[in-house]
Amino acid sequence: MNLVSDDALLARKIAAYLSSQTGGRVEIGAIKRFPAGFSWLTYLVPVAGLPGDAGRCDLILRLGPDYGLFAPYSSMPEALAMRSLEGSGVPVPRAFWHSDDTSIFGAPFLFCEKKAGAPMVAWVPPGSPPLDENFRRGIAEQFIDALANLHRVPWQTKPIASLAPGMTPENAARLSVEDWENRMSRWAMRPYPLADWGIRWLKAHAPVAPHVAIVHGDYRTGNFLEVDGHITAILDWELVHLGDPHEDLGWASLPMYMGGSKLISRLAEPDWFYERYSEKVGFEVSMTSVRYYQAFSLLKLAATHMAAASCFEEGRFNDMRMPAMGSQIATCLRQMAKTIESTP
Amino acid sequence: MNNSFPRLIDGMCTTLRQEVLSRLDDEFARGQVFGVINLLNTFKVRADWSAGFLLQQISAQRKALDALADLTAELTTTPVLAAPTGGAPSALSSIGELLTLRDDGNRTIGAWLAWFDDSRVDMPPETAISIERHLLLAMRAEVDIELKNAPRPLFAEMSSGQEA
Repeated sequence: MNLVSDDALLARKIAAYLSSQTGGRVEIGAIKRFPAGFSWLTYLVPVAGLPGDAGRCDLILRLGPDYGLFAPYSSMPEALAMRSLEGSGVPVPRAFWHSDDTSIFGAPFLFCEKKAGAPMVAWVPPGSPPLDENFRRGIAEQFIDALANLHRVPWQTKPIASLAPGMTPENAARLSVEDWENRMSRWAMRPYPLADWGIRWLKAHAPVAPHVAIVHGDYRTGNFLEVDGHITAILDWELVHLGDPHEDLGWASLPMYMGGSKLISRLAEPDWFYERYSEKVGFEVSMTSVRYYQAFSLLKLAATHMAAASCFEEGRFNDMRMPAMGSQIATCLRQMAKTIESTP
Repeated sequence: MNNSFPRLIDGMCTTLRQEVLSRLDDEFARGQVFGVINLLNTFKVRADWSAGFLLQQISAQRKALDALADLTAELTTTPVLAAPTGGAPSALSSIGELLTLRDDGNRTIGAWLAWFDDSRVDMPPETAISIERHLLLAMRAEVDIELKNAPRPLFAEMSSGQEA
């Protein structure tokens, strides 16, 4: 794979690709790469000449480079999720063209709608002032409601159903644990017996899901856009899969995303979060399952840090934040062990 | 740490050259960066991870593995495992040797976990509890030693690019 890294050349290739897809002459303005992220590369692409109402607009292009954190990538899960969620009440950008054919831009890619807004910062320095109370509460309500809406989507009739044939409430947890066990075996550069122990515990204590749902996989502050107190889009669907909806609750409530507060994702008091979510989603949250998925989330985070360390060590990516992430494996495994040991 | 010492030095030097020097115009500041790169390259040929840190981890593993061997000595089914041999390593061992010993110890603990999962139903409950306790002690010790030797992470600064 040879990723197109020159912006001007990439713009020309985008124009040629979109022209061939639309059958018209599409022109591209100066593209801009967003600096954030360790995984997919994200570009703002000004476009003119698209048919219909979208004649002149900004698109988002996501490229999954072979040096990225979770490489090798496929555009399929994110595209399937976005298409499955159209009209669902979950604010998502509309997906347009996507492909895993690396002969086009040198990497799997996805074009989608550009939504207004800016991401809220997930990590804040200790002692940072809290969010304005009205703003926080308003965003928290939307954050909870969007998650409940996501978990209520009847995915069985949507494109995303192809991601996990045969998944049931009984096997959802085990399949997800096995998926991450496989990932960890690819990424770990040395043995981590505490991670092995965690996997064994998770397999032995897998809960039955209330139902199988679309799971975002990285639902937290930092992965949505907000403007004037309104969430305009839930982003970063690269870890989307089918599974137990408690999996997103476990991830969103990790201490790493509390920003030094006692609020889930810096937004919601835990009791109120679970109560409102239960009302909206239509089943009672099981705190046993939440704790199970918190432990699993800490294992997933440790695995992600293993991926970062491995990516850096192999020389695929020289971003110095990667080994810094890799230094956090012990922190995640220790918290995972504490979570498991405190489970009744 | 989970990355090799030389790779980290190389990564830091590459970052300073490609991401910092390329954006830095002040001559004095550029000279300082080249001084840092010079010193990092010196560390690469003269320094490595701390032996004391690894020796603590290996010592904790061996203590637990010795206790497990005693505990299972009288069981009818005992684990057939390649335990680390050759006595405790010294501080004079090379870092590469110590890293290998630490990883071998972890593989052995992993093998104990697998054996324990299969065998616990056949052993007296108090033996099972003791074995699990020693395995957990060994595994916790490794991460605790690592955490005691870790600075405060700078995730807020890394994501914002601003001093906290």
